[in-house]
Amino acid sequence: MLTDVDVLAKLALPVARAAWWLALSATVAVIVERAAVGIGQLRRRRLEARYAPLVRRALAEDEDAERALTACPHRHRLDIATLLIAPLTNDREPGRIASTRRVVEALSLTRDAERMLKSRRWWRRAVALRALGLLQDRRYTAHAVAALDDPSADVRAAALDALADLCDPASLPAVVVRLLDTSLHRGRRAAAVAAFGPAAEPLVLDLAEIDAGHRVCYARALAICGTAAARPALCRWVSGGSRDLRAAALAALAHTGLDPRAATVAVAALETPDPDIRAAAAAALAGWTGCPDATAPLARHLDDHWPVAAAAARALHAMGPSGREALLAAAQRTDLTGRLARQALWRPQAQA
Amino acid sequence: MTPGQRGGLIVMALTTAYFVAWAVTQLAMAAVAAVWTWRYRRRQSRRARLLVERVAPPLVSIVAPAFNEELTIVHSVRALLALDYERREIVVVNDGSTDGTLALLQRTFDLVRAPVAYVQPLPSAPVRAVYRSARDPALVVVDKANGGCKADASNAGINAARGELVLVIDADTVLEPDALTRVVLPFLEDPSTVAAGANVAIVNGCGVTDGRLTSVALPRSRLARLQIVEYMRAFLLFRPACAACNSLLILSGAFGLFRRDALIAIGGFDRTAIGEDMDLTLRLQRYYRAARLPFRIAFDPAPLCATQAPEDWQSLRSQRRRWRRGLMQVLWRHRGMIVNPRYGLVGLGSLPYVAIFEGLAPLLEFVSYVLMMVALLLGAVDWRHYAAVVVVWSLLGTAVTMTAVLLNDLVTGRYLAGTDLARLVVTALVENCGYRQLNTWWGFIGTVQALTGKGGWGTMKRRAFQGTP
Repeated sequence: MLTDVDVLAKLALPVARAAWWLALSATVAVIVERAAVGIGQLRRRRLEARYAPLVRRALAEDEDAERALTACPHRHRLDIATLLIAPLTNDREPGRIASTRRVVEALSLTRDAERMLKSRRWWRRAVALRALGLLQDRRYTAHAVAALDDPSADVRAAALDALADLCDPASLPAVVVRLLDTSLHRGRRAAAVAAFGPAAEPLVLDLAEIDAGHRVCYARALAICGTAAARPALCRWVSGGSRDLRAAALAALAHTGLDPRAATVAVAALETPDPDIRAAAAAALAGWTGCPDATAPLARHLDDHWPVAAAAARALHAMGPSGREALLAAAQRTDLTGRLARQALWRPQAQA
Repeated sequence: MTPGQRGGLIVMALTTAYFVAWAVTQLAMAAVAAVWTWRYRRRQSRRARLLVERVAPPLVSIVAPAFNEELTIVHSVRALLALDYERREIVVVNDGSTDGTLALLQRTFDLVRAPVAYVQPLPSAPVRAVYRSARDPALVVVDKANGGCKADASNAGINAARGELVLVIDADTVLEPDALTRVVLPFLEDPSTVAAGANVAIVNGCGVTDGRLTSVALPRSRLARLQIVEYMRAFLLFRPACAACNSLLILSGAFGLFRRDALIAIGGFDRTAIGEDMDLTLRLQRYYRAARLPFRIAFDPAPLCATQAPEDWQSLRSQRRRWRRGLMQVLWRHRGMIVNPRYGLVGLGSLPYVAIFEGLAPLLEFVSYVLMMVALLLGAVDWRHYAAVVVVWSLLGTAVTMTAVLLNDLVTGRYLAGTDLARLVVTALVENCGYRQLNTWWGFIGTVQALTGKGGWGTMKRRAFQGTP
């Protein structure tokens, strides 16, 4: 009969062996990985030394360099593509983009990108989309729009990046419709709308009229791309929308700027019971010096909830002499409101 | 076999089983972390900056509590002012320093006393004055009475912060220039993100000029190297594995970005917590999970910042004892979450793991060391058996550490020089032959201190950065 000690003795050797093999294989894995990384780095350095000067010359329209690049071995093409396209992430100069596109076209690298777009591996599709976006090759807008429905979230993110880079009016409806798509990154949706700027506004307004249930999203989009043309709709939403819609519409008015009607609506919104709406209204009134006068209503709100008071102080400060006068009056007080007013009036040069 | 021999063997077997369980769990986490890290690497593009430029990025307030930091504070603030993220303000909180920290800041950055109004939703020791820089309006210095802990100073900084996001760092944290741009990304991508952290590297051995890393190298100090492999295991095995299932338990106090409203909702940092960073992260988990609100705590495995590790035994000892006390306190406070399905994978996965393999580890290890030594001295255990057990522990430890080194290579590309590998392998082996046992002892003392309510914050000897002019 086996005793517990016998069992332990039997287990000891396999455990020791397993520990030994684990330690050895982990160490060997690190050594192999480091060797692979070293070889990869060496290869990259050599290819860079060989092709970077050619790439520079090709971008400067040197035909010999272009021919030399075209004659390169097929296995080097991806590295050349990286040398050509990666700098476009930081260098968005249109001339540079156009010349890169020309060289990429001459090397038929777009065919490689097309193949990658059909790859089963999501990261290849994402890389191809980002590269085509950086190249601003609008022949691939449809591919980028289609990729917004890709099963991989990362490919969808890359597609939005590409559409923001391409800025193709043909893709505008797809971008605007996707404003509500929570399967896409919020920041990227906003960035895509921002890339189109005011061009997106009419479509956003049209959709907001049809799709009243999602007006908050459209109001937020107008805070990015809205212009004076959006003011009437925004004023309507401030006057008769839900709490979130009113706050979002006021934020959009802060972006578009005010006219007398919008200012009247914003001043009225200062008196609503919801502090978030009052704070948004105060922020929207920043710098408004026209009629109706917003100085006195804003000054009254220096005693309000803190976010409202802080927004009112900033708005008064942005108004120039009239706002400054109201702040000076409040600055005489010794409480938090007085301190807030003094903070808004404070200038480092005055104290130094 | 005598009963004594049998008892000795059983103790050895149980201790080895504990080590095997630890190693298996670590390697399982390594597998999860490897998949997650692989995906992270594939996701990486150089577009973070472009994206941040296109949208209106959120204002980020960087809160840097400083207590007697005159050696490093100027370089740290200069580096913060040079970050490549425009919408940021820097709130340095002078936590009643007794050295020249405040005077140095005043002189260097032309600080002038400014009226600053803000409500104080979070408790902190009284604020004496608020200064603004005449040179750079983004710099605010809050001078307050010493609150006795970083949590108090952090709360004062959060109160003064205007940003919707608050980055809480240590005053001597060295940030990468794009750290802020990268750590803000999860907030731009996913509106449910409430906090984000990153891998914290060790700055010892690296060149730092004007608060910026200029070169990366393994430190000469053996003690710092030992801590590097510890950091690798913590930041590249455990945290990515937890991040993969949104069950992070700690965002390092040296670098954590939070939504300000989330911080205020949970009452900010707890001034009575010793491990205030872990306590805060757990309270966030608790708050959002209990309320069934959607939330995400994100983690970037890239080393976006670096911090000084102690290079003398005394500082290390007091740091480890403090960490231990902090851990025990946090585990006790949040014991209701352990093995509680209401808290999802935090309650059923990461927190029980920490309780067993970190909370209980020093007690179990210390008791087993003592029992085995006694058995060895009494002749109840053959010394060859004992040696075999120690070798198995060391090999398992080495396997886990080398896995962390592998992930470190893939994520950070640091310490890739030829001699670095040899040094790391030696460090991984040496760690199990004395250092680990020493840590167990400190942990044991820290646990006793936690139970008896003794022990203070301790001090760490700061060093000026290498390469600092």
